[in-house]
Amino acid sequence: MGGSDAVLAARLAAGDDHALAEVFDALGHSVYGSALRVLGDNSAAQDVVQDVFVELWRHPGRYDPAAGTLRTYLSVLARHRAVDLVRSELRRVARQERSYRLTSAPLVPDVGDEVLTAETAGLVRSAVRLLPASQRQVVELAYFAGLTCREVAQAVGIPEGTAKSRLRLALAKLEEMLDRQLLESS
Amino acid sequence: MTPAGDRDLPLLPPGLRERVLAASLRARDAGRPVPDAAQISPVEAFSRAASSFYTVLCFLHDDDWRTPVLRGLDVQGLAGHLIGVEEDVHRALAGDPDVADAEHVASTEAAALGQAGLRPAQTRADWRRAVDRTLDLVRPADARSRPADARSRVAVHGLRLPVTALLVVRAFELWTHENDIRQAVGWAPSVPDPSTLRLMTDLAARLLPHAAAALPEPVEVRLVLTGPGGGTWDVTMGSAPAAATVAIVADAVGFCRLAANRLTPDDLDVNVTGDPVRAAAVLAAATTLALD
Repeated sequence: MGGSDAVLAARLAAGDDHALAEVFDALGHSVYGSALRVLGDNSAAQDVVQDVFVELWRHPGRYDPAAGTLRTYLSVLARHRAVDLVRSELRRVARQERSYRLTSAPLVPDVGDEVLTAETAGLVRSAVRLLPASQRQVVELAYFAGLTCREVAQAVGIPEGTAKSRLRLALAKLEEMLDRQLLESS
Repeated sequence: MTPAGDRDLPLLPPGLRERVLAASLRARDAGRPVPDAAQISPVEAFSRAASSFYTVLCFLHDDDWRTPVLRGLDVQGLAGHLIGVEEDVHRALAGDPDVADAEHVASTEAAALGQAGLRPAQTRADWRRAVDRTLDLVRPADARSRPADARSRVAVHGLRLPVTALLVVRAFELWTHENDIRQAVGWAPSVPDPSTLRLMTDLAARLLPHAAAALPEPVEVRLVLTGPGGGTWDVTMGSAPAAATVAIVADAVGFCRLAANRLTPDDLDVNVTGDPVRAAAVLAAATTLALD
């Protein structure tokens, strides 16, 4: 029996918390890096790291050493968790956008309020960076600057309907892009 | 796991390691295996080991009973030895001081030799009857017999243990001798069910400090037994402050074979962290438990 991933997995299953510490010391920064690349936010990435290691400790049997290395398994798990976080945030934004269309209320009432924390903003920023410039612009104005669609339209110099259309397209593209990321990392 | 290629990764935020490990241990206690075996009573473990042993006796051909097994005993003699053990346990449960320090083999020699020449079916029935008598004595719910107090200590063959621990020792013994017979007649070895094995590994780990006399110096041992029925134990071997800590990772069944003195440390597949010489001494000490 050597110092392989299979031995580590067996030790974790046996309740050896020293094995968990060893895995964290060896792979914690790799897991953190995987989460940070998706999220671009330190706090959210730390949450993902915690989720990943708690998952490993609670269900070590879900890792199959025959299927790949522990490093790969944890990195994929971190990526999935991070992408799930971003997708969840995008759905929330989409719900806000639909609510705006129905009520004409500001898309983001107050950037500083507790709904839009720095953490969740960070999640979306990292995803938005990958959008085409025209779509990124409207999302940034609506989401980060807290402008209404009408204000976004005025700021960009486009009709309000076009601003709404670009916003919807951007949100749909973000979801699609993240889905593809998820598939590629599986 | 190698750190190669990690140089470009971001540094971990301070405190994250402690936060993650604490959250993990809140989700699942250290030392607890997953999946954990269903908990059974020591009486049930002994009963299961007895059933497994009896099954082997039932499937033996008459010729097999003459096969040499160990200590000069054939299968029938070994079954006779075990009848003698049961009879000594009955006496111990009744408080007979004469069996407290009786030598395990010598005390049962007459019973072992007494089976010679009997029909195998007779020996098998005698053994079954002796085991059933033990079960009657230790099953508190059995109104026909005087139930033994599970917490009271029983003194037999040099052991002074609670009834519950004694029953696990006996399950260990029956499993070991069942496999002695299996090996003698060319059958594949058996493995206890996870619930029974969990009690056996826990017993072996808790008895490990009693083997400290075989060590040159005290040592702290983290014993990690893998596979179904395994677990993790921190054991201090020796009364003085330990000079070192070693971690030993081994298969649960393999460690039980070691503790039953049916496997040498060299034949046990282990992963050691710490001083390998001290770890080897711990494993050698574990064989002196002789849970057979």
